[in-house]
Amino acid sequence: MRKTWITVIALLLIVSTALVGCSQRSGGNDGGNVANDSGSAGNDADGNAPKTDDSAEPVKSDGGEKIRLTVYSTIGELKNQDMMKSIAADFTKENPNIQVEFQFPGAEYENILKVKMAANDLPDVFDTHGWAVIRYGKYLADLKDEPWAGNLTDTIKPVVTDKDGKLEALVLSEAKDGISYNADLLEKYGIAPPTRFAELMDAADKLKTESNGDVTPFFMSGIDNGMIGGFLDLYATSQYISPSTNDSASLLDGSFDWKKWTPLAQKLLDMQKKGYINKDVLTAKYTDMPQRFAQGKIAFVFGAPSFADEVYKVNKDIKIGIMPLTTMVDGDSQTFSGGERYTMGAWKDGKHLEESKKLIQFFAKPENMSKIANATKLPPGLKDIPSQHEFTTYYEQFKDVRVFPYFDRVYLPNGMWDVMCKTGTALVAGDVTPAQFADKMKQEYDRLRNQ
Amino acid sequence: MGRNRKAWATIASLAICLVHILPFYILLTTSFKASDDLSSKWVFPGYLYLDNFSNAWQEANMLTAFRSNVVVTAISVALIIVVGSVAAYPLARYQTRWNKFIYALFVSALIVPPLTILVPLYKFMVDIGGMNHYWGIILLFVTFNLPMTIFLYTGFIGTIPRELDEAAMIDGAGRFELFFRILLPLLKPITATVVILTGVAVWNDYQFSVFFLQHPHTRTITVALASFFGQYNSNIGWVAAGSLMGALPMIVLYLFLQRYFISGLASGAIKG
Amino acid sequence: MANVRPFTTNDVRPDPAAPLGGPAGKRMRGSAWLNLLYVPALILFGVFIFYPFIKGVQISFTNWDGYNQDFKWIGGFNYKRMFSDPDMGRVIRNTVIYGVGSAFLQNVIGLAYALFLNMNLRTRGLVRTVIYLPVIISSLIMGYIWYFFFQYDGGAINDILLLFQDEPSNLLGDKDFNSWIITFVNTYQYLGIAMVLFLAGLQTIPKDYYEAATIDGATAFDRFRHVTWPLIAPSLTISMVLNLIGGLKLFDVIVAMTNSGPGYASASMSSIMYLLYFGREDAGYAATIGILMFVMISIVSLVALFLLRRREVHA
Repeated sequence: MRKTWITVIALLLIVSTALVGCSQRSGGNDGGNVANDSGSAGNDADGNAPKTDDSAEPVKSDGGEKIRLTVYSTIGELKNQDMMKSIAADFTKENPNIQVEFQFPGAEYENILKVKMAANDLPDVFDTHGWAVIRYGKYLADLKDEPWAGNLTDTIKPVVTDKDGKLEALVLSEAKDGISYNADLLEKYGIAPPTRFAELMDAADKLKTESNGDVTPFFMSGIDNGMIGGFLDLYATSQYISPSTNDSASLLDGSFDWKKWTPLAQKLLDMQKKGYINKDVLTAKYTDMPQRFAQGKIAFVFGAPSFADEVYKVNKDIKIGIMPLTTMVDGDSQTFSGGERYTMGAWKDGKHLEESKKLIQFFAKPENMSKIANATKLPPGLKDIPSQHEFTTYYEQFKDVRVFPYFDRVYLPNGMWDVMCKTGTALVAGDVTPAQFADKMKQEYDRLRNQ
Repeated sequence: MGRNRKAWATIASLAICLVHILPFYILLTTSFKASDDLSSKWVFPGYLYLDNFSNAWQEANMLTAFRSNVVVTAISVALIIVVGSVAAYPLARYQTRWNKFIYALFVSALIVPPLTILVPLYKFMVDIGGMNHYWGIILLFVTFNLPMTIFLYTGFIGTIPRELDEAAMIDGAGRFELFFRILLPLLKPITATVVILTGVAVWNDYQFSVFFLQHPHTRTITVALASFFGQYNSNIGWVAAGSLMGALPMIVLYLFLQRYFISGLASGAIKG
Repeated sequence: MANVRPFTTNDVRPDPAAPLGGPAGKRMRGSAWLNLLYVPALILFGVFIFYPFIKGVQISFTNWDGYNQDFKWIGGFNYKRMFSDPDMGRVIRNTVIYGVGSAFLQNVIGLAYALFLNMNLRTRGLVRTVIYLPVIISSLIMGYIWYFFFQYDGGAINDILLLFQDEPSNLLGDKDFNSWIITFVNTYQYLGIAMVLFLAGLQTIPKDYYEAATIDGATAFDRFRHVTWPLIAPSLTISMVLNLIGGLKLFDVIVAMTNSGPGYASASMSSIMYLLYFGREDAGYAATIGILMFVMISIVSLVALFLLRRREVHA
């Protein structure tokens, strides 16, 4: 009996040690050049080679030391992840000593990066997804002397430059958030893309009544409540920053009268009350949306059409359009909200800062930027990058529309985004009134500003 | 009458089975459906479609993930058994005031909310260089499964008559010898219980693995599958297929150890 | 039974070293060095639980945002905030539903199933395995599966409801009811543990007790009331306490099914802690809630343990 017992444990240990051994060996096969490292690494499972496609690369090609760069990216689509990896593989072909290891933590990206910042243990290169200056600035190296720095587009340059002129990151793609819509549906019901908010509501009403409720004008999700917060964030810019009423000064100095938030919240509530938003707004998930969009059940989605590929999986013939945000205030012109979307910044305390910069420089090459733009279907962050995908004509059409930075990044303290999303959801759920929402915003705004 | 009653009971038991298996049925239909198939979740597809399985297998790097899971789970469970059973011995046999306190300390760790300690733990792990290494997370798993393990072993050893100790010691066996030669072999049933409970916990872990094993080569199954649930991926077919594949080893393990599992619980958790 | 149960606070057992007495007893007292055996476990605990936990307690006295290197000490401010936070009432209510609700349901149904399976049916093994199966699945995945049931659009339950009504029902959107759905899912998943514990408990009851009772003319209910119920008391204690702790710490299922919503309607202390920590960048406050949670679970489980143990003694 004792023997069986001990044998079981011994077996477990042997099997697992063998597996660890395997992992090292297979790692060696993958990269063909880690054999040296893993030998010394002993029981160290991390001795794996990164996944690169250059298995033919000779070991120690020029006697230099092997360097491994870790790159974190927020790219979620598998196809685009492969595209990024292939560019990295090209880089390793040119620089056999530098291997690039991409990681795409998906939904956990922000949490992982926050924990990493707390422990001061960041990846060599990482995506700043809209937070280059405010959140990640302290950890990023200055890239203003890089050869590509002068090519950043005029809209994006100020977004990733801090007040001392430090350039935080290479912007692979810009976000230009307006409204994505089902062009087929709009055509079917004879609706031209609206330019004013009132027109948008009229269009919604028309879609809802004429389709007998088959079409829900808007889709939002209370589970991925960034969609509700996103609506408020996008339209806050139109509402508070316009030629006739510009509250930017009071928002920045903290004297903003939050009673003004009530009408905006009321608009969201009205949309819901009139049945313009999907009935299950509280429990739908973002991932429920592409399917319904493909079935022609949804007309408008606030934000960029990053879900397009998921839609095509169900209905490949559908035509998706994009347009700038409608105006909220008379006399204003249409706008996009935006900022950096996918970027690459280098950790300033990284062990391989020079190599990181080299990698970023490689990604900044026009042919690579083109590849990225075509895959992500977003406008590139550098000037004169040719790209061709189904949305390029729209971006061309709207190239003169002003792009405002996301409202919360400029005017709200860190931590407010979540308040806006959660309370917005509570508003739609009927838990709070627009006035209570405004009070909550004021209260949290004051607290977070004073922190 | 008696026979009738039994027949009814058998039917009722099958009905219970049916109700409890429903979620697995839905998981199964989902895993065999193409992504453009929008039919009801109740309907089994009328075609054979295995892409979800092959895609999940490839895209989630399931082979690598399986290896990670097996390594981490096997070593963790082995260490949990050794450290836990050894620690339980003095706690069960020498119930001094001090040892009672130690025991309470161990078991109270069951209550600690993981998020409260996440960041300090992470910092510490970075400092000792355990990030993305199997040994780092194994140490965590061992520690966080010890409260339950010590609880079970202490209870179980308590049910083994002390006379056994006495007899062995009269025969001149030392304390250590007594433990390893006499007691350890008797711990088989409770060890089966511990293997199942902690094995499942480690195998399915998400909260720790997602932070401490981020590297694609050390990623575990749950983390790999969760990445399909990103904001822009709604590959529910893949997740369903991946979950089925990922759960299989634990189901097999459970089926094998089931017999000991209950008798182990009977004496470890209940009599103890 | 008392002499084999280890440490309860109200243990009245004499010094356990005593029964050996004589020379053996002396040897016993001299073997305190055997306590070295739990030193490895103690070191692991110290390093990976107690040390970080104390750090966590420290965080609760700061205004830390969760990632910046700098923060301010703000004394007991977060604690003051917590007691005046209007959302906390709901969160505590939900946490109690998840904890007490699931523990109650799991034990009632688990016991019923165990008694039923104890009838020596041929399907016994099958049923036991099927009911235990969900325990083996990751609770995150289990949450997603059940989301497919309760989903509004194309959800499995709505597919059936639509046969009887024109509109699908948004079950998870019902802010007063959805915490019960989550409780149900948690119950479904971990019912197997309670059942197995009761089955194990039933195994320990000698058959002749029942025979004796039957000879005395006791009905099935009498037998349950006077034989089974008192003798499975230890199973009940363990099952209750384990399920209470599990339910009070509930996290994964909530995230998968409602993400604490709508608003905070289905948030538990664990899930709101997560939202505050990562979402609102309010790590100090999140840590404070963590401490409250620790205290609350400790009190609830100690009270439950005390009451249930007392019942065991009386029985």
